[in-house]
Amino acid sequence: MQDRSKTETAPIVIEADAVVKQFGGVRAVKGVSVSVREGEIYGLIGENGAGKSTLMRMLAGLYTPDAGEVRVGGAPLQPGAKSALAAGIAIVHQELNLIPEMTVAENIMLGSFPTRAGFTESKKLRAVAKSTLEEIGVAIDLDEPVSRLSVALRQFVEIARAIARKPRVLIMDEPTASLTPAETDYLLEMLQRLAGRGMSVIYISHRLPEIFRICTRVSVLRDGSLVDTMDIEATSPDDLVNKMVGRELKLDLQVRREAKPGAVVLSARGITAPGVRGIDLDVRAGQIVGLGGLVGAGRTELVRAILGVDPKSAGMVTITVDGKSKRINSYRDAVANGAAYVPEERRTEGLALTMTVADNIALPNRRRLSTSGVLKVGSIGSFAKELAARVELRPADVTRAVGEYSGGNQQKVVIAKWLGREPRFVVLDEPTRGVDVAAKAEIHRLLRSLVDAGAAVLVVSSDLPELLDLSDVIYVVRDGEIVGTLTAAEADEKAVMTLAAGGKMVTSA
Amino acid sequence: MTNIATRQGGRPAGAKVSTHRGGQIASVIQWSAERGIFVVTGVLIVAAAVFVQGFASVVNITDVFHRAAPVGIIAVGMTFVVISGNYLDLSVVPQVATSAVILIAVSNSYGLLPAIVVATLVSLVYGLINGVAVGYFKANAVIVTLATTYIGLGVLRWVSGGNIFFGPRGGTIDTLGQLKFGPVPLSALVLVFMAVLLGFVLSRTGFGFALRAYGSNKDATRLAGVATSRVVLGAFLITSLSAMIAGFVLAAFSNTAVSTVSTGMDFGALAAIIIGGNSVFGGRGSILRTVLGVVFVSVLTNILVLTDIGYGWQQVAIGVLIVLAVSIDALARRVGK
Repeated sequence: MQDRSKTETAPIVIEADAVVKQFGGVRAVKGVSVSVREGEIYGLIGENGAGKSTLMRMLAGLYTPDAGEVRVGGAPLQPGAKSALAAGIAIVHQELNLIPEMTVAENIMLGSFPTRAGFTESKKLRAVAKSTLEEIGVAIDLDEPVSRLSVALRQFVEIARAIARKPRVLIMDEPTASLTPAETDYLLEMLQRLAGRGMSVIYISHRLPEIFRICTRVSVLRDGSLVDTMDIEATSPDDLVNKMVGRELKLDLQVRREAKPGAVVLSARGITAPGVRGIDLDVRAGQIVGLGGLVGAGRTELVRAILGVDPKSAGMVTITVDGKSKRINSYRDAVANGAAYVPEERRTEGLALTMTVADNIALPNRRRLSTSGVLKVGSIGSFAKELAARVELRPADVTRAVGEYSGGNQQKVVIAKWLGREPRFVVLDEPTRGVDVAAKAEIHRLLRSLVDAGAAVLVVSSDLPELLDLSDVIYVVRDGEIVGTLTAAEADEKAVMTLAAGGKMVTSA
Repeated sequence: MTNIATRQGGRPAGAKVSTHRGGQIASVIQWSAERGIFVVTGVLIVAAAVFVQGFASVVNITDVFHRAAPVGIIAVGMTFVVISGNYLDLSVVPQVATSAVILIAVSNSYGLLPAIVVATLVSLVYGLINGVAVGYFKANAVIVTLATTYIGLGVLRWVSGGNIFFGPRGGTIDTLGQLKFGPVPLSALVLVFMAVLLGFVLSRTGFGFALRAYGSNKDATRLAGVATSRVVLGAFLITSLSAMIAGFVLAAFSNTAVSTVSTGMDFGALAAIIIGGNSVFGGRGSILRTVLGVVFVSVLTNILVLTDIGYGWQQVAIGVLIVLAVSIDALARRVGK
């Protein structure tokens, strides 16, 4: 726990004074002021597109403010990432920036390789890397190539890289997005430890419980402006959510659907693949099946093997539509028989970011949008517009490049492109990761409407409330096997986590 | 918020500094990437017509067309490989030469139709080998086509014995090679026809659409259910058939063929594609851009010849233009799409 009396009087380490940042004609940050004290964990929240990342990049010297200034220890921050580093500001990005082929030690020291006369000093490199890992309390083999580490361990390597520079201010952008609850706990405790030693942390997250657990103060951004800065005791989750979205948003308005599952659409038997050990799985029409478990348990590998995205070494998959069963031997078979896949990595696997929204939506539907191989150019626009409206894309301009949209809207485009095919079996891997509260609710609504229309849906989610909220049945995966089945009635966070982490087997009737 | 905010890698070492030093520079780069070649080509032609003596004559224009056609036909075909993100097809060099030799040599012995059939078969073999290795086995296109270049040139030299083949004077091939409509030779019309046809394929068919998507993001395109291996194979087959036609045009023009006839045409075609503003990263580009690149390079070369500036300077000029074009492309990619 933080010692509040200490931080309240501590000196201000870094502050933004009425900073403005504009891109083209868009003002991403409109005169925001924040100040962070020594040893404080400072929360920064807001919907995607609220300006958090831009503000943070200004604090880290990656962007130069168009107006206003950033001060570190009272002195203005010189432009450029180098001077920010010299001033003691380190940033851990949401996306990992490690070099997979290099070792843990090399990655930690990346960019600050100790050299003598141009030659790297490998002993010193290892020594600094080792002491840094010890400092954050993570045991990883220094010589392991990063490519062999789990996502969570990579995240810690990334943090170690920031810590190795002995920063006064550590900025973290959604560090727990891909971590399991246990790993998240570990990370939060680590941050509290670092703060206890006088390091200031700026913590950006969509996850309010984390904010309440570690932060002393929290600022809410909306549309590039600061809505409010509050002591954590002076606010509540409801209050923060209202301030983020700018309107009263009832979080629990969805009533649990009456589950009335129909015939089996997807049947998978004995699926075996790297990380997946002989899994049987059925998904019925009108049913949402959730896959719970820790990151690395084999859920993504399982759905990719079922769909044929990655090869499986054994097992059989059939998709049954309108009473006709088809055996699925490849991903294209699966798609041809009504499957749709919303992958975990939406930017690299879900979308062609440089292409327009219309082109992305048209891609899986190009057959229907062409006659004997020739595209009906006129109909692509109206087709895309209709689907963009269905997923409530904002702004609903299908001629813009997908890359220009926020995470939530990009995910809506991924869903829209599949909706055009009226899929019968939909697989979504972490459908709302990095998506803001409002878009998340809309994506959930879309999923429910798909199931109501008779589709079979399989969802992988590490966001427990989401998994519990959406699923009719939850299969918990651990070490490549299904270790438990929970119906909507019996599932709660504790039950899922107990199974995921290795508790006793539970089977429902 | 634009994608700039979310896309920046931001190495702590400062390897990447903000690309947003000013919206103006960014928009100039964007503009250059999108419209630059159109303006520059227009200006160059007007300037040449006004200032360069002998440029705006029928004889010279015919000559420019004649020289532009073979490389241009290769380039419009190879644009498919470039847009697929597979860089280039080096093996157009042996393909052009092989088709030229086959056209002359086989027609001398067996007639024109058998020559075309044989050339087509050989061309399809090239396209299949390159396309299957790159598309299905995911081998690197540069290496694969380097290998088929060696194999192809070796086989061609062995089979042709390094001989120069001459067609009969006044025969069908010779006649077609010299056919002109005003200042416009048949070869230029073949280029126009290929450009229109392939432009349609690239911009208006499901195949062309899938190809552009593939060049933009391979994984996402595969996960959209596209048969991506087949798409890449298609790109190489189109390149091969274009190279074959370029070989025909080249052979018909001089009524001769030799295994060294196409030396340097691989990079000549690539230079035109890149100068035209097609992205070397794949995804972005068009046949129109390639044609403009071909026109630009041909006119520039012609100007340098007419003004008696040496061949060395031509090469320097093209090199400089390529650096400019790829830099603009890379910068345009960084400042946002």
